[in-house]
Amino acid sequence: MFKTFKKNFNLASEALWRHKLRAVLTVLGVTVGIAVVIVVLSAGQAIKDFITGQMTVFGTDWIEVEIKVPSTAHTSIENVGGLAQGISITTLKISDAEEIKKHPNIRDYYAGNVAQEVASYKEKNKITMLFGVSASFIDIDPGEIMQGRFYTEAEEKGLAKVAVLGSGIKETLFGDEDPINKSIRIGRQNFRVVGVMAEKGSAGFFSMDDVIFLPNVTMQKLILGIDHLTFIFAQPYDNSLARQTAEDITLIMRESHDITDPTKDDFIVMSSQEALELLDTVTGVITILLFAIALISLLVGGIGIMNVMYVSVSERTFEIGLRKALGAKYSDILNQFLTEAIIITIWGGVLGIALGVSLSFLISYVAINYYGFNWQFYLSLTYIALAAGMSIAAGLIAGLYPARQAASLDPMVALRKE
Amino acid sequence: MAEKPLIKLINICKEYANEEVVTKVLFDINLELQKGEFVAIMGPSGSGKSTLMHIMGFLEKPTSGEYYYKGKKISDLTEDELAGIRNQEVGFIFQAFNLLQRTSVYDNVRLPLVYSDKNIGDEAVEKAIKSVGLYHRKDNLSNQLSGGEKQRVAIARSLVNQPEIIFADEPTGNLDSKSGKQIMEILQSLNEEGKTIVLVTHEKYTAEHARRIIKIIDGKIVDDFKVKHQLLAKNENDLTK
Repeated sequence: MFKTFKKNFNLASEALWRHKLRAVLTVLGVTVGIAVVIVVLSAGQAIKDFITGQMTVFGTDWIEVEIKVPSTAHTSIENVGGLAQGISITTLKISDAEEIKKHPNIRDYYAGNVAQEVASYKEKNKITMLFGVSASFIDIDPGEIMQGRFYTEAEEKGLAKVAVLGSGIKETLFGDEDPINKSIRIGRQNFRVVGVMAEKGSAGFFSMDDVIFLPNVTMQKLILGIDHLTFIFAQPYDNSLARQTAEDITLIMRESHDITDPTKDDFIVMSSQEALELLDTVTGVITILLFAIALISLLVGGIGIMNVMYVSVSERTFEIGLRKALGAKYSDILNQFLTEAIIITIWGGVLGIALGVSLSFLISYVAINYYGFNWQFYLSLTYIALAAGMSIAAGLIAGLYPARQAASLDPMVALRKE
Repeated sequence: MAEKPLIKLINICKEYANEEVVTKVLFDINLELQKGEFVAIMGPSGSGKSTLMHIMGFLEKPTSGEYYYKGKKISDLTEDELAGIRNQEVGFIFQAFNLLQRTSVYDNVRLPLVYSDKNIGDEAVEKAIKSVGLYHRKDNLSNQLSGGEKQRVAIARSLVNQPEIIFADEPTGNLDSKSGKQIMEILQSLNEEGKTIVLVTHEKYTAEHARRIIKIIDGKIVDDFKVKHQLLAKNENDLTK
């Protein structure tokens, strides 16, 4: 067995050595194919975790009620564009949140609005996202206080002008200075800083660390001049029942808003479970897409091998005839050509894995260090095994047909090709 | 009791079918060859002599008829079994030398051993190269050799597996007279050592270096006789054509 393998390996190596340039170019084709497989699979995993990470900034056990333009779908351009262009939905109120809290599976909630204002401290100014949320935010959200404290319910009810800074905005405005009890200006009002949040990461296109948290009622009355809400985040006791609870909340909301036709809903209810499922579908599609790209690249590599093997067979018809005339059996020729294909793919596989892992690392390094994305580098043995397996399979499949053709040649017909 | 013939052909016919045209090449060939013979198959171009040699050398199968080698019927053997016999029993010398390009003399001569089950060591390769007087060129590539040297490499290759019988198809056809003489000298000395030689040629002069001549015309044996005065290459100055 070993002797046969050694014989085939030697024969194949000699043949490849005689056509060095062609062998190297084919190896290169396979290398690129395998490298793409690894980069794409690693990137797919990184994207998935990146997006999931963004979603879980708000925790993984919530049911959100959000305003919506009636007669539009939640994610439709009509809704998102409509809200962005100033269609004001003013029906979501704190009374809705209190109704929702009566549901037996709801432990607590926080409600709020979002705004944008210039925040300044001494000479430093920054346009900042304002997150006006209930005092209960700190108990429900996974975010934690790093310094000082969060504002209290009493402060919220008393329209206290207090603020809690995200870690990023604290750095921007204060640098190393202690911000606690310092006064910052937001719009035309002065606010006293009572706390700083621990680093939290980003959600969507904005960093949750560059946000200033204000008591919701303070923001409603003193900054926005409204009494409605944009969102309510409710926390269930039992997250496994979140889907049913979300349906119940929808009914509660319809009753409180006096809506009989579901298409006229001026709100949307979504649980974290549903959001994650939706996300899984999206990332699943991305993974399939990337996998398809990887397969195509591998297919191109495989066709490259097959092409080279065909050229090799037709160029070496005489040699094959001679070998058969001198006693080579069908299996001898088949194995020689297959071994050539396998040597090419193994080299391509090894180099491709090295290149793919290096590129994946480089992408992750650049994304983290130059773009600040939380883009993890994955060195998955499964992906490497998959890439190696696919490369050998591609080599075998691509090499098999030309090898069989070579092995089936009639020695005399082949010899006459000289 | 007479010894079994090495080769026995009974009513061998060969035809090639090319699309709808069938070309008959050999007609009812009956022939016996004994071990140790030096036979020349002689005939004009297209007479079927090479086809006959290819059938006897297990390179082609007859369309009909029976072929016995050492008393064993071989017409029914598979391609792989024929490959095995070619490797173990036969040495070939071709008019066009048929060496692997860009491959050393040594590796060319060693080629049959790659597929051999016989326990023959690499010293046999050196011995075969020495026997044709090319040991000093064993590391040269085949394309660096002259025509005569290439044919001597082909002879060394045909000997390396210690075959029973050597088939030489117009071995001097592509050579100058001096090289041709050297080749015939080697073949005659191999025959003296006991090897059976089958030589295919269209030249009467070359054929007369054999001990027996079989004449073939239009696919039929027309004459089969022993050479009365065998020409000995070692006594000649040149092999005049």
